[in-house]
Amino acid sequence: MSVADKKIGDVLLKVENISLSFGGVKALSDISFEIREHEVLAIIGPNGAGKSSMLNCINGFYHPQQGTITYRGEKRKQMKPHEAASHGIARTFQNIALFKGMSTLDNIMTGRLLKMKAGLIASAFYKGPAEREQIVHREFCERIIDFLEIQAIRKVPVGRLPYGLQKRVELARALAAEPTLLLLDEPMAGMNLEEKQDMCRFILDVNDEFGTTICLIEHDMGVVMDISDRVVVLDYGRKIGDGVPAEVKNNQAVIDAYLGVQH
Amino acid sequence: MSETSGKPDGRDPLGRDTIPKFFAYNARHRRDRPSIREKDLGIWQTWTWGEAAGKVRHLACGLAVLGFRRDDKLAIVGDNRPELYWSVAAAQALGGVPVPIYQDSVADEIQYVIDHAEVRFAIAENQEQVDKLISIKDRLPKLETIIFSDPRGMRHYDHAFLHDLEAVMAKGEAHDRAHPGFYDEEMAKGKGSDISLICYTSGTTGRPKGVMLSHDNVVRSATLAINFDKISETDEILAYLPIAWVGDNFISYAEAAIAGFCVNCPESADTVLQDLREVGPTYFFAPPRIFENLLTTVMIRMEDASAIKRRMFHYFIGVAKRAGCAILERKPVSLTDRLLYALGDLLVYGPLKNVLGMSRLRLAYTAGEAIGPDIFDFFRALGINLKQLYGQTECTVYLCMHTDTDVNPDTVGPPAPGVELKIDEATGEVLYRSPGVFVGYYKNDAATAETKTADGWVHTGDAGVFTDAGHLRIIDRAKDVGRLNDGSLFAPKYIENKLKFFSHIKEAVAFGHGRDYAAVFINIDLAAVGSWAERNGIAYTSYADLAGRPEVYDLIKGCIEQVNRDLSSDSSMTASQIRRFLILHKELDADDGELTRTRKVRRSTIAERYGTLIEALYSGQPSVAVESRITFEDGRTGSFKANLPIAEAASYSTMRKAG
Amino acid sequence: MAFFLEVLIGGLMAGVMYSLVALGFVLIFKASGVFNFAQGAMVLFAGLFFVGFTELGVPMWLALLLTVGVMVLLAGVIERLVLRHLVNQEGIILFMATIGVSFFLDGFGQLIWGSNVRQLDIGIPTDPIFLMDGEILIQSFDLWAALVAGTLLAALVVFQKTRTGRALRAVADDHQAAQSVGIPLNVIWIIVWAIAGLVALVAGVMWGSKLGVQPAIVSLALKALPVLILGGFTSIPGAILGGLIIGAGEKLAEVYIGPLFGGGIENWFAYVLALGFLLIRPQGLFGEKLIERV
Repeated sequence: MSVADKKIGDVLLKVENISLSFGGVKALSDISFEIREHEVLAIIGPNGAGKSSMLNCINGFYHPQQGTITYRGEKRKQMKPHEAASHGIARTFQNIALFKGMSTLDNIMTGRLLKMKAGLIASAFYKGPAEREQIVHREFCERIIDFLEIQAIRKVPVGRLPYGLQKRVELARALAAEPTLLLLDEPMAGMNLEEKQDMCRFILDVNDEFGTTICLIEHDMGVVMDISDRVVVLDYGRKIGDGVPAEVKNNQAVIDAYLGVQH
Repeated sequence: MSETSGKPDGRDPLGRDTIPKFFAYNARHRRDRPSIREKDLGIWQTWTWGEAAGKVRHLACGLAVLGFRRDDKLAIVGDNRPELYWSVAAAQALGGVPVPIYQDSVADEIQYVIDHAEVRFAIAENQEQVDKLISIKDRLPKLETIIFSDPRGMRHYDHAFLHDLEAVMAKGEAHDRAHPGFYDEEMAKGKGSDISLICYTSGTTGRPKGVMLSHDNVVRSATLAINFDKISETDEILAYLPIAWVGDNFISYAEAAIAGFCVNCPESADTVLQDLREVGPTYFFAPPRIFENLLTTVMIRMEDASAIKRRMFHYFIGVAKRAGCAILERKPVSLTDRLLYALGDLLVYGPLKNVLGMSRLRLAYTAGEAIGPDIFDFFRALGINLKQLYGQTECTVYLCMHTDTDVNPDTVGPPAPGVELKIDEATGEVLYRSPGVFVGYYKNDAATAETKTADGWVHTGDAGVFTDAGHLRIIDRAKDVGRLNDGSLFAPKYIENKLKFFSHIKEAVAFGHGRDYAAVFINIDLAAVGSWAERNGIAYTSYADLAGRPEVYDLIKGCIEQVNRDLSSDSSMTASQIRRFLILHKELDADDGELTRTRKVRRSTIAERYGTLIEALYSGQPSVAVESRITFEDGRTGSFKANLPIAEAASYSTMRKAG
Repeated sequence: MAFFLEVLIGGLMAGVMYSLVALGFVLIFKASGVFNFAQGAMVLFAGLFFVGFTELGVPMWLALLLTVGVMVLLAGVIERLVLRHLVNQEGIILFMATIGVSFFLDGFGQLIWGSNVRQLDIGIPTDPIFLMDGEILIQSFDLWAALVAGTLLAALVVFQKTRTGRALRAVADDHQAAQSVGIPLNVIWIIVWAIAGLVALVAGVMWGSKLGVQPAIVSLALKALPVLILGGFTSIPGAILGGLIIGAGEKLAEVYIGPLFGGGIENWFAYVLALGFLLIRPQGLFGEKLIERV
């Protein structure tokens, strides 16, 4: 029911004619699509279709040779990942990139780094405003911990956590930055059914509670159809479908791609 | 045979006959003492008795505004949360009846209870529970109002019947201001003979039954128990057992209000052990399974510890096993042992108890199932006053309790104050009379009449015997006690429990009634047997594979023969030594209906489902073919075919016990 | 006994100097996974600039400030010209690059300031101090060195708690994740190399006032290697403790075992000690145990 009365807003991010190649190998060719405010957009496609590359372009890890990305009405060509982060784009990774030596809480606190104001000298002495600021950030992180139901692992070094929980901590860290646009690279890969259901619930709740725009890559078609408002389908670096889940499901090109019809 | 203790009646000298009246009393006399705590956003939040009583008042008034009337039922479903305990009090204050429901029940189970209890109002902890209620609401015409406590994820729910608890309380506060006398008048109307609670019992067979307990039942039983163990307002507990279980209502709600102690609600179900450490309760109740898990955790930690630590641990645990229980029961102990024990307390027991959150523990109970004597004695040896308790919902929690100075792991203690017990000569069943005897099963007079005799005795359904020391020993469910073909006694649960005390055996199901000899199904414990296999270089691919290994059969055979030796020492049990057994290829599972939610074996289901296996145990054949459907975690199903071997175990001739 | 203590204390003080150099290695290795072979050359480079400025008649405090500026600038240049182009390359390639940087610094410093030994006197008293009724003699210079090292360490510990310190730890742990939470990798690298430069400056000034500023400092700085093996490449306390052990160990060995070999074992004993240690605990005293999870 939450999906039905949700207000999907204007275009938040517009990808136009993006092409990316690595030493002559084309990863993406001429991709264009839009991500609208408050929507959950899924990018799907067979292995090697260029989904992660697409995310890496949006997030600034890769710089496409051609095309533009317009974010909040501003055209940008080259942007570094940390600049993307400071513009409100947070993400998780397919292969989990956590600070393995830190506890869950410290990981999430690190996610708030951009929000921390206290200067070097002030925070070095850890008093007054700096301390108050710490408390505010800690409280925010505790809300996320509560939200994602990871209270029990608050103090556990993340390297010791099972895979499913690491994925959840990674999501928590991304949320700590209060992102406008959240990129999730296969948030449910390698999870069992129950963990997947939990993760779906969290993604929808995030979208619902905070109004966060979410762009995710996912293999599990059932999941994609359930939680996304719109689906973009890539195959061999080209876009072959774009629309609401029901449309995409009946799109012949998509069916062919998934059934492995020769090109 | 009949054992009686004195007859204190547990009535309150101040005439407080309902729990809301105790809340009101505490609000005046313990206004600033802590009443309940909850860990929220990583910080413990405390409500004093004054604040808690205020919440109850506003909640009650809010319920009244929504139309909750005397004798209405209030279904309560969720984890241990302050708001849910307050809603119990609020319903009772208005003369209504709280009906707590297990939070992990599936929608169908909830539907049955709400329908049967004719519930009009329900309070749900969070979205998950609300979703379950909404999914069955169409089939529950009487259910009018659902109140939720945690607003997370509820923003887009716009059903008219849904209310936010905060908003209900705000309405109540306004109502209270407009009608200041309303709450107190309503509360004063309540009397001891009113129904205070309906607890639906899970039951090993059939539909759950709603046990009606009066305020008198609860107040008097709780008062007697408080006096028995000298519980006071300075005690602290951790409320982590399901609120739908009568014991939690009794301890975390009734005893807490009467004695005025503080209840701590864990942050979440996963954090209970950490919260236990942080709270350090003085009074603790846990089923045997929890003590088992704690012991296992300790042992695993010690395996990983340095050699010096491990040596020290084992040495001092040895000392504790020798002298600890005696010291705890204030019995004579040699000076050397006393000194060594003191040193051990400094080096091992103290730190260990601290890690377990048991440093301040002065009273601990276990009940529900038989506890392994080793586990029981381990905790007592550390200086923890762990005792057994026996009872059921129908008697308001307890019938027998160990006294502090006379504890025996094989018994459940003597009859508690105010309780009369007798054992039916013919069936061996335990019967009782006590202030806690329930009013009846809700809308089930037939079942009530079956359980309560005309002269006030109540059938427990359990078979037991009295020891020479006057303690009760429970051997089995009365209906499960059977006879072998030669006429000798066969108590399956007694045998199963003995088997389950081995760490390698997770579940056992014994057969023998109407047969020539006893035989069992075994469920191995994957963790324990798995690590045993690893240590012994036995490779396996799956549970079923491991279970079928000849080495594992030998391992289990050893356990069974140990039990046989034990049984052979008791003349009434020697005939039920186990001759043949097989190890099941799958774990018995509550989801498949083979166990109850409280992990008790459902014999009828098992007899039905595994009929061919049972026949094979008595046919003399060396193995039996099975085929079963398996549902994988991702929802796919597959089928499983295998040959389960059947093994024989040696039996022993009757021996006299030494000494 | 008194003699033993004197040797021990003398050794520990010498160890402090090793620790200072090792600290520079650890900081860079932790943050970027680069084994900075140029750390020794940076010590000389900083020392040369400092002594050079003072010889030009610049007041001591200004010379210090100017040298700090030079080291920060150097960090920026190294990042811009070397590191930026080698992102995501193998560790060995970065290591080779730092060897290049090392030779460049060595040569460039001497090109500007010449290669003769320069005396450096920054006014640290050098009178001996007697303890236990005059039975033990310590150099007050050594005490000063320990004090300076202690202050530096305290400053680093405090720094770790700051926002930048948190960012540094994040970068040390996972580059990709650090970038995704908005930490600019390049800036962090400049900061790290600048801090390592400052540590090198402190070491250079201390070594310089003790032995004179001379190219031999570079090879002396390589004593930090056994220190790192002992303490672990990623541990700051390890660098300190490792330095102390090596310092004390080689002095004691020189005095007590040395005569058996006819003396002169001080120069190689540290390496033998480290080698022996490597066999027992390859991750170092405080190093992280490498657990590969399947």
